[in-house]
Amino acid sequence: MSSTNFLHLPHQQLRRRKIFGGIKPAPHKAASLRSRIMPMPLPPQLILPINQYHGTNSSPLVKVGDAVLKYQALTEKLDHTGAALHAPTSGRITAICSAPIAGHPGNAALCIHLQCDGDDNSLELQPCLNHDQLTGFEVLRKIDAAGIVGMGGAGFPTAHKLRLAIEHGTELLIINAAECEPYISTDEALLRERAREVVIGAELLRTACHAPRCIIAIEEDKPAAIAALRSALAHSPIELMLLHSTYPTGGEKQIVQAVTGLEVPVGQYPLNLGILVHNAGTAYAVYQAVAEGKPSISRIITLTGRALQTPKNFEALIGTPAAFLLKLCGVQEQHHLTTVMGGSLMGLQLAHTEVPVTKTTNCLIAATVEDFPQPEPELACIRCGFCAEVCPARLLPQQLYSFARTHNHTQLQSYGLDDCIECGACAYVCPSNIPLVQYYVAAKQDLRTLSVAREQSEHWQTRFQFHQYRTKQEKDSARERRIPTALFPVELLPTDSSPITSVQFSRQLAQQEIADAVARANAKRISRLATDTQMPQHPAKDKE
Amino acid sequence: MAMRYLAGPQQHASIATNQIMLQVVYACAPGVAIATWYFGFGILLNILLASLFAVAFEALALHLRGLSPAPQLQDNSVLVTAVLFALTIPPGSPWWLVGSGIGFAVLIAKHAFGGLGQNPFNPAMCGYLVLLLAFPLDMTTWHVPNAQLLDGQSFTPFSWNGLRQSLLASFPFLIGSESTLAPYIDGLALATPLIEFKMAGTSAIFTALDTNAAVLGRAAGTGWELMNIGYLMGGLYLLYRRIISWHIPVSIIVTVSAISALLYAPHSFAIYGTPYLHLLGSATMLGAFFIATDPVSAATTTRGKLVYGLLIGCSIYSIRVWGSYLDSVAIAVLFGNFCAPLLDHLCRPRIYGHRKSRRLSAMQEQDR
Repeated sequence: MSSTNFLHLPHQQLRRRKIFGGIKPAPHKAASLRSRIMPMPLPPQLILPINQYHGTNSSPLVKVGDAVLKYQALTEKLDHTGAALHAPTSGRITAICSAPIAGHPGNAALCIHLQCDGDDNSLELQPCLNHDQLTGFEVLRKIDAAGIVGMGGAGFPTAHKLRLAIEHGTELLIINAAECEPYISTDEALLRERAREVVIGAELLRTACHAPRCIIAIEEDKPAAIAALRSALAHSPIELMLLHSTYPTGGEKQIVQAVTGLEVPVGQYPLNLGILVHNAGTAYAVYQAVAEGKPSISRIITLTGRALQTPKNFEALIGTPAAFLLKLCGVQEQHHLTTVMGGSLMGLQLAHTEVPVTKTTNCLIAATVEDFPQPEPELACIRCGFCAEVCPARLLPQQLYSFARTHNHTQLQSYGLDDCIECGACAYVCPSNIPLVQYYVAAKQDLRTLSVAREQSEHWQTRFQFHQYRTKQEKDSARERRIPTALFPVELLPTDSSPITSVQFSRQLAQQEIADAVARANAKRISRLATDTQMPQHPAKDKE
Repeated sequence: MAMRYLAGPQQHASIATNQIMLQVVYACAPGVAIATWYFGFGILLNILLASLFAVAFEALALHLRGLSPAPQLQDNSVLVTAVLFALTIPPGSPWWLVGSGIGFAVLIAKHAFGGLGQNPFNPAMCGYLVLLLAFPLDMTTWHVPNAQLLDGQSFTPFSWNGLRQSLLASFPFLIGSESTLAPYIDGLALATPLIEFKMAGTSAIFTALDTNAAVLGRAAGTGWELMNIGYLMGGLYLLYRRIISWHIPVSIIVTVSAISALLYAPHSFAIYGTPYLHLLGSATMLGAFFIATDPVSAATTTRGKLVYGLLIGCSIYSIRVWGSYLDSVAIAVLFGNFCAPLLDHLCRPRIYGHRKSRRLSAMQEQDR
C-alpha cells in the first residue's frame, strides 16, 4: 500500500485532543506505587502457555524430562503470528499438557510445566553496546528472536507488527504510556524508575519501523513518571505529549485520536494512517532484547487491591502462578473476595488463582468488598443516555442493549456493535447496573455463531440438493437403459452456460447437468457403451 | 450475581436509578412549596393521594405481570410519575379523579407497554390527558388563590380553613355540610393566567403580568410566576447534579421565547401573549425541566434531544395560541414522544472511524 493519503504527520504541529466520551474513575494507583518495582523470588514451578496470545501459532522445542537453562528457547513460532517463548529460569520440564489459563472459566491451553531447580543457571547473554548503530533490520531480527509481544494487553507479536508497519510505511510512532485504567500502574512505575531504558527502546522501535517521528504519550496525572521522562528525553528527538486523563485514552484507537486528532477508519488499523502504536512496556522489552540481549522472560505486573498487605509492582517471571505473587504481597484470605486479572474496568475475574502470568498480564487485583462492592440488582434501562455520553466509539449503548435483548441482529450491526471496544465505560456509568458489556459480548458471539451457521447451512443445502439431483439422475439413467430407443432431443434442452449464483442453486444447474449428462449418455449409447454412465462433476466445484 | 464479576467493569459510578428518581422528586420541592403557598394544601393532597394510588397500582401491575414487586417498587420511578401527574391536575381534585388518572398512567400507559423503560409515552401526561378528555369540567376547575372576587367571603388558602376546604374538596363524602364550601370550588374556571389571556385578554391579572406589577402579591398571575421560578430552580438543580442534560430544556425554552418574541406585538398581546406570559405564566418550566426530560419517552441522542425540544417548543406555542386547549404542555410532550424514536434513528451520531452516514455504509455492506 502506498503512502499517498498520509497526512504529513512528521511535519505537523500536533497538540493533544479530546477523545469521544470517556469517564474519569478513581485511579486507585497510589497503593501499588508506594514501593519500587521489586524483583521476585523463584517460584517452585512455572506454567508457560505455549501460545501466549490467542492468535499465535507455536510449537514446543523441548520434551518432558528435558533440563533447560534460563533464556533457552522453549518454543518456535510456526508462522508470523507466533512468538518464541524462552525459559524464565533453569529447571526441568515436568509436563507438557493442558492447564487452566486466565479468561473464562474452563479456559485451558497447552502449557509447558517447568520445575525450577533454584540455581537460575543461564545461557550467556550477548549484550549489544553499540545498539544505536544497528540497522532497522538487525533490530527487527533481535526483537523477533526475543519473542516480544505487545505488553499493553492485546499481545500481538511486536516483530510482526513492525513488519506490517514497514510494509505500510510509518510516519509516526506513538509510545503509549497513557495507562488510563484504574489500579494498573506498571507503565507509571516503569517510567518513574527506568525512563532512560524506555526511551532507548522507543529509539530502537523507531529505527526498526523507519518512522521519522516518535511521540511518547502519557496521561497528565502521573507527575513522577513525567519528570523522569522529561530528563530522559533531554537530548532526544522523541517528543512527549501529556494527554487528558480520561479512560479509555490508552486504547489504541483512542490514543491515535488523542495524539493526532485522526480516527482510525472502520475495518482498518492505525498502520493504514501511517501510525504505529506500541506500549511503553513493549519499548522496555525491546531495550532489554536489543541492548542486553535478553529474551522476553519477565514483565512488570501490578499487584494491588485491599486484600494485599503490601501492594506493589513486581518484575515477575512469565509463567508464575498468580497465587504465588498474591502470597508474596501478603494476601489476607479472610478479606479476599475475588481476584481480577487486568484493571477494574476491563479485567476478568479469575475462577481460581493457579493460572499463570503471561506476557500480556499487567495487573492482578486481590479485591475486598470495599474494592468491588456487590452490585445493586439490575434494574430496567430508563434510556437516560449516560452511556451514550461516555462511549468512546460514539455508539448508542442504550439502543444496542435493547436490540441485544431482542436479538435484533440487523439493527445491532447497523448500530455498530462491531465498533464496540468493550471498554466498559457504559456499564460503569449505568445507573440501573446493567452489565452492558456482557450483553454486547454475548451478542457478538451470537452474530459469529450465526454467520458460521449460515455458511454451514448453505454448504449442507448444496450437498443435499446435489444428492437429490444425483439420485434422480441415477434413476433417470436406469430408466433410459430400460428404454434404449428413447433418445432425448438434446438440442431442445437449455445449453446456456451463464454463471450460477449460490442463491439460485438450482434447477438451472440441474437442468444444465442433466442436459450434459443426457448428451453424454446419448453419445455413449450411440457408440454402444450404454452401460458405462459417468458421474457428473460435484456442483460445488462448478459454482466457482 | 456471581456471573456479574466475570467480565466488564468491576467498578461502578455511584448514582443509581432510584436515586435519580428521588432527586427529580426533590427538585420539584421549590415549585411545590410556592404552589402550596398560593393555591393551598390541595396540591400537597394531590401529591399524597397520587403517590399512594400510584404505589398501589404499581404493586398490582407487578403482581399481575407475575413479577416480584420489591425491587421494582424501589426504583422510585412511580413516585416521579405520581408527583408530576399531581402537579398538573387542579389542586384539591377529588380522590376519584386523582385515582383514575394515576391508575390509567400506571396500569395502561406504563405497564401495559412493558413497564419502566418500555413505555413510549410519558405516563403522567397520558393520565392527565385522559382526565382532560373524560372530565373537562373537573380538570379546569381550580381554587381561586385569593377569592375576594366571590361574594364577600374571604378565603386564604394557606390556613386551617384552607386545609379544611382542600380536604373537603378531595374527599367530598367526609362532611355532609359541603354546601357552604361548594361555591369556592365548583363552577369557577381558573386554570392558569393563560385562561385569562385566552378568555379575557384585558383582565386585571393579565395587565399585572404585562406590566410586571405586584410580583410578591398574592394574585394568581404572580403565583404562577413564582411557581415557575421554583420549577426553574429545581431544573437548574437537576442540571447541576447532571441528572438531566441541558439539551431538551434549553431547546424548549429557547424555542418558546424565540417564537413568542418574534410574534409579540405590544398592542396585540391579547392574541399572542407576551414571552413573559409564555415562559412564566404557564406550565412551560415544569414541562421543560421535568416532563419533557423524562428519559424513557424522550429522544436520547444529542441532536435528537435538540430537535425534540424544538418540536415541543413549537407545539406548546402553537396549541396555546391557535389551538383550543388552555395549556398545551401535555399534548406537546406526547407529540414529542411520538417523534422520539424517529428522531433517535435519524440523529444517530457518527461512530468513531466511520466517515459517511451509517445508512450509506450499511447499504454498501448489503451490496457486498
